[in-house]
Amino acid sequence: MHSAVQRANTAATIAAILLATICAAASFLDAFNSPSLQAHVQVVKINRFRRQLDGNDEVKMTLKMSMDLTSLFTWNTKQVFVFLAAEYETDTNSLNQVSLWDHIVQEKERASFQVKVPTKYPLIDQGTNLRGKKVGLVLHWHIMPISGRMIQGKMPLSNFSLPDSYTTRS
Amino acid sequence: MDWQGQKHAEMLMQIFLVFSAVAAFGAGYLMRDFRLMMLIYAGGVVLTALVTVPNWPYFNRHPLKWLDPSEAEKHPKPQVSNITSSSSSKKKASKNK
Repeated sequence: MHSAVQRANTAATIAAILLATICAAASFLDAFNSPSLQAHVQVVKINRFRRQLDGNDEVKMTLKMSMDLTSLFTWNTKQVFVFLAAEYETDTNSLNQVSLWDHIVQEKERASFQVKVPTKYPLIDQGTNLRGKKVGLVLHWHIMPISGRMIQGKMPLSNFSLPDSYTTRS
Repeated sequence: MDWQGQKHAEMLMQIFLVFSAVAAFGAGYLMRDFRLMMLIYAGGVVLTALVTVPNWPYFNRHPLKWLDPSEAEKHPKPQVSNITSSSSSKKKASKNK
């Protein structure tokens, strides 16, 4: 404390430690947020269901989704990454999860919406197991905070069954 | 600054910074705005630096009384006494044995 530079150094060090403390406190309080979100998804139609040239099944469909993610946002949330996964079981894999659609929500005001979209990513199987398969749709989300660790969650939504035979583009 | 001033400055620094942190967190939590918390905290840190880092006259109200140079000549530094020098030579002699 004898020179101005020493005092400045001390002030900067204490300020940095306290900054870490308040960020940790903000992150800690996030754990008490119990979100209650609503979501609904419906397969409007199967656009294409075929077998690719390299032998794997591929499905493209149109989905109608509505969701309300506002309860996931706290004051310490930077953005929420949400994606819809198709989950099903095959002989070789007990669980297959394929992402069909994803979205980044950066503001709480834009967290509640409805869309009718074709799937961003096709449902491609490791093999040819999709004919007549019962597929469950699960909504997953990753909450990315401003400070702290990422929080993950998921919610199962409706199921649907794929057709028994390949279709051509309608 | 003098010694009293240094102690005072350090105490003020700690109090100001902790208060800034608590006020910033409280305001941010109540207004649900992370950016507000950061702004208040930054303002508090700058205010603390302005108050405690420069050498304000307020911190120099108990100045040390350094000895006047003319006084110092009247009281010369004490010489190394004979006792200590002989004991050190005794030690040297014992080492050589």
